[in-house]
Amino acid sequence: MVDSNNEWNLLAPIIPFVLVAPILYMQGWESVEAAFLIVVVPLLTFPIILVVGQVYNGNETWKNRYKEGGIFGLGSLALSLSIALWIAYDYIAGSAHFEMNSVVEPFSWLTFDVLHHDGSQWDISSGFADIGVGVWIDPVSLMLLFVATFLCFLICWFSLGYMNTDPINEDSNHRFYGVFVLFAIGMFGMVLADNFLWLFIFWEIMGLCSYLLIGFYYWKDSAAAAAKKAFLTTRVGDVFLMIGLLMLYNIYGSLEFSIIFDDPSTGVGGALVESADLNWALLMLFIGAVGKSAQFPLHVWLPDAMEGPTPVSALIHAATMVNAGLYLVFRMVPFVDVHVSGVAGLEDFALIVAWIGGITAFMAAAIAFVQNDIKKVLAYSTMSQLAYIFTGLGAGLLFLNIGEYHAGYFVIGASMFHLFNHAMAKGMLFMASGSVIHEIHHAHHHLHHDDHDFDPQDMRNMGGLASKMPVTSTAMMFGSMSIIGIPLIGGFWSKEGIIAETWLACLHEEPLMLGPAILVLATAGMTGFYMTRMWLMTFAGSPKTDVAEHVHEGTPWIKEPLIILTLITAIGGFLLALLGVVDYLGGEKDHLAMHGLLDTLKHAFLPDDNELRIVGWTTILLAAILGPIIASRVHGGRLAEGAEANPLVGWLVNLSSRFGSQDVSELADSQLAEALQRRLYFDDLYEWIVANTAIPFASFSAWFDKNIIDGFIKQIESNSTSGSVTVRSITTGSTRDYILMAAVGMLSIFALIWGVSA
Amino acid sequence: MITLLPLFAGLLMLILTQVLPNTQAEGMARISRNISMGIALAVAVITTLLFIGHWGSIDWTNITQGGYVLQNDAIDLIPSIGVTWKVGADALSFPMIWLTTVLIPISMLVEWNAKRGHLFHPLLLVMEGALLGVFVVLDLFVFYVFWELTLIPMFLLILMWGGEDRRYAAMKFFIYTFAASVIMLVGILVMYFHTDPIAGLGSLTGHHFDLVAMTAQNNLIPSEGLRHLVWLMLLIGFATKMPSVPVHTWLPDAHVQAPTAGSMLLAGVMLKMGAYGFLRVAVTIFPESTIEFIPLLLVLGMASLVYGAWVCMGQTNLKRMVAYSSVSHMGLIFLGIATMQPLGIAGALFMMFAHGIISPLLFAVAGAFKHHYHTLEIGSMRGIAHHSPWLAAHMMLGWMASLGLPLLAGFVAEVAIMIAFWMTFGWLVLLPALTLIITAVYYLSSMQRTIFESNDPEKGILPDTMHDEEPRDITWHENAGMLVLAAMTVLFGIMPFIFWDMMSDWSSGFTVETLIDAMHSQEWMP
Repeated sequence: MVDSNNEWNLLAPIIPFVLVAPILYMQGWESVEAAFLIVVVPLLTFPIILVVGQVYNGNETWKNRYKEGGIFGLGSLALSLSIALWIAYDYIAGSAHFEMNSVVEPFSWLTFDVLHHDGSQWDISSGFADIGVGVWIDPVSLMLLFVATFLCFLICWFSLGYMNTDPINEDSNHRFYGVFVLFAIGMFGMVLADNFLWLFIFWEIMGLCSYLLIGFYYWKDSAAAAAKKAFLTTRVGDVFLMIGLLMLYNIYGSLEFSIIFDDPSTGVGGALVESADLNWALLMLFIGAVGKSAQFPLHVWLPDAMEGPTPVSALIHAATMVNAGLYLVFRMVPFVDVHVSGVAGLEDFALIVAWIGGITAFMAAAIAFVQNDIKKVLAYSTMSQLAYIFTGLGAGLLFLNIGEYHAGYFVIGASMFHLFNHAMAKGMLFMASGSVIHEIHHAHHHLHHDDHDFDPQDMRNMGGLASKMPVTSTAMMFGSMSIIGIPLIGGFWSKEGIIAETWLACLHEEPLMLGPAILVLATAGMTGFYMTRMWLMTFAGSPKTDVAEHVHEGTPWIKEPLIILTLITAIGGFLLALLGVVDYLGGEKDHLAMHGLLDTLKHAFLPDDNELRIVGWTTILLAAILGPIIASRVHGGRLAEGAEANPLVGWLVNLSSRFGSQDVSELADSQLAEALQRRLYFDDLYEWIVANTAIPFASFSAWFDKNIIDGFIKQIESNSTSGSVTVRSITTGSTRDYILMAAVGMLSIFALIWGVSA
Repeated sequence: MITLLPLFAGLLMLILTQVLPNTQAEGMARISRNISMGIALAVAVITTLLFIGHWGSIDWTNITQGGYVLQNDAIDLIPSIGVTWKVGADALSFPMIWLTTVLIPISMLVEWNAKRGHLFHPLLLVMEGALLGVFVVLDLFVFYVFWELTLIPMFLLILMWGGEDRRYAAMKFFIYTFAASVIMLVGILVMYFHTDPIAGLGSLTGHHFDLVAMTAQNNLIPSEGLRHLVWLMLLIGFATKMPSVPVHTWLPDAHVQAPTAGSMLLAGVMLKMGAYGFLRVAVTIFPESTIEFIPLLLVLGMASLVYGAWVCMGQTNLKRMVAYSSVSHMGLIFLGIATMQPLGIAGALFMMFAHGIISPLLFAVAGAFKHHYHTLEIGSMRGIAHHSPWLAAHMMLGWMASLGLPLLAGFVAEVAIMIAFWMTFGWLVLLPALTLIITAVYYLSSMQRTIFESNDPEKGILPDTMHDEEPRDITWHENAGMLVLAAMTVLFGIMPFIFWDMMSDWSSGFTVETLIDAMHSQEWMP
């Protein structure tokens, strides 16, 4: 194994990419003018990686110096990141303002005219129908842009270690990096897009990349099937999303944010927008979001998506792509915000969003209880956390639609902040799990060369790794804490807000919110359990297999991203909360401003509102104390004799052994556990439906086409064959007869037609 | 001129190779292949230069309905019955012309090593001439002649280079479409006998076949019943060519048996003749009947689209599946026209073009499977991506383009037609939209069961038809041809406006000048 320090010189080709942003700055460019480069440079890079990789496949220089294209991918992502940081700086601390969100003049992509009926006659209106493309920037897209560019960069870095040292990936990593960069284009483009059509276009690009990367190990049946499942499930959502776009277009005569959001209550030609129409349109869009963000009932693809390489899970199926659905729902805020110019009467829609969120959060957390595959636990956790954000957005939309805009902006901001915290923590958790899997795999390869039945992702094969993997275990601990919502760490600052406001919505505004409110509260406790369980099963106790005893944390390129993200997760949430990021993201304030430390703490722990205080402390009790303690009783334990963990995680291992132990094998054999193992039978149900309706119907169609429709034609053929036998008898063989017949025939045809026409 | 060059050059070479003594046949094969390619490339360059305005400095946008560019002074061919040689192009025909000229060299390249190359490549040139003829002539008689002329090279291609069942497929293809064309001919003749006389034309009959004059003539057929009848006759001819359900069954047979280049041209250009003719003749001259029959168009389009997709899903033969997917996509063209929106019509035009570059890619991929793995059975092999990474990559791109992935050409047409469809028909859009899911299902399943899934990273599972043959990737010329098609798919997906602008302008002009009046007279409301 090469020491990681010796590989830093490989980063030399990245330098020119990083220099682009400073040079443009010195040339006097505005940061947003350079925004297009965020998409265009990767767009030029990815085909190069693919083609060069295919041509120089196996070449030593390509493999060792350029990491099979990984270095170029990293370079273009570094460029995107540097420009994104530049833009963020300009808007947060510099001179740029959000007044004109659509900051780059869009160029026309498709222009066309529309024919419309003005009551008495048809008329054509030209010029107004135009689908262009430009750049849109507001606080949330700024935040998402940072999340996307930053995580893409870090995970690409991580992949240099993870992918390129795995012998099974040998000579196919250009495929990985090429598609990885294409994915980045999709995410960056979607965040920057200034209209719904381009949002949809990039949305679909991400879907493609998700398909390609889940199916990266295409020779595995399970990977190929999972890829197909992911594409088709999200495709169902996407089709509805597209219908939603058609409806929006019909209402507003445009799909551009600037035109629609200018005044969502008036549609094309100044007509008032009916809430029923808009309700349907938003519902269709929401189905698309449900598919992409893996919410009930289109959630089945996400756990299977873990078939892809771990960096892919980290990037796409946890940190970025699945946030697309949340972003889309966030974009619906102006439609419902009656405080500005939204359309009243959309409470039902908001309730649907909240309910879907609540149900998914609870269901996913429950399924996560019984998973033994480390990545599957994280996958269900992702689903559950995204559902939190949906619930928060649902509550926010509800508040905004009935005019409670302070509460609305607050919970929307909290939801978006949770998106940030979750993305950072989950990206790191997946990379940490990748680190674990990678090292276990190596250790296993080293020990039992011929045994192929070993599952390196099964937590029952791990245990006691805290002493072997100090960086990874620390990272994973902070990540889990953030997801659980341990006070002061990452996700706490946002989750608290979501749960509290959901309860407020239920208590003060809409009794039907009770369902989501109870579900998210219960889920908070369950999150505490399953995340702790995962950590303890992996890192605490004594090693459960000989493989786990021989693990080292030695692969280069893997530690740096973990350390950076650990810092962000541990203190980033707190710092941003101090800066008032919730108000900023919610749209209540257009700048970040330092709040007092005590103020912030008081707001979080001792709010004036009595109900908020009760909800807040209940959440802390459930999530930070009850859930982890139960998990410790089941899975906690000291490390093996002589093993020593670093002090950052050592306390946790020791603490976990203090709560006694409990045997849950009876519960694990129960029918409920079985049902959870089978993912509550949703996958089985869908498969059964498809196998019993669509496939037989398709076979029937094929049969029908072959035997009935074409059979009919064949019947004519055979009839005419027998007819020709009869006709042959009047063929006399005399040329004179033929000419006569032909002439008579021609004349009669002409006469006939002439007669008919005249 | 550009029409006749490939036609006569091709014919000349065909004759020469037959006439020359056997000793020179081999050398002739090599030369005629190269000459054919040279001519085809030259023609492609000419049309490209015409398009970018380098020659003739034509502004392709803002060509209104009836305004043709590159028109010639009509030359009398058969003055006694009013047949003239009259050509011209507009935004409806030019994309098709360009497509034809580009596809011919590509299909030649893909089958560069075809057996009996001295016949094969010149035959493709003849094909090119006939196809170009269909798209450029503005005289219905000559149009019909070219229309039927395209059958002959395709018939020969299937008959001489086809698969095991080629005789049956070739005959079926020929008789089926010929029979439909004859019905169309009757319709054309009825139109002919209703034309007003033009001085100097048709000295014997007093009528003429001039399409432009027919379009300009008000109320060509006064009797409504007869007009509808003629419209339906035309529809039969054009719909069979497109092909639309229920007259589509010749297509899968023809495709499965046809050689790769034949399939590529058949799907890429010949099917578009139907849509082109329908718009150029039936809709342009009889807008009232078109509006009257919108429900019929809707039913035909929906049936082709939805039913075609379901049949696709039930196929086990790769080429058959791709052929049915063409039926399915052609259904969208009828739907686009049925919307009566400029956007929908422009979408239909773009669909013709986009499908014209995507489907040749699909058939090139299918042909490569046949060529290198000797079978087209989906499921008879697994993990082919390991042996043929380039083939797998092209398959992935083509399949994705065909299922409507954004930033690839097909998406633009699909989304345009969908938007227009919602404007006119509202919730009915659910049917075509949900069909997109079925499309995704059959495409993804077929990929999963050919290029993926072998459970062994070291090798794929080869079909039985390979016997002991070593699996290979596609040859360089196949790869080059497919790369050009793939690049075009991406180019027109990212920058559709290259052709979209002129199509959109044409559709708007067409709507204003032809459809609106008819809508008013028919009091049509969606």
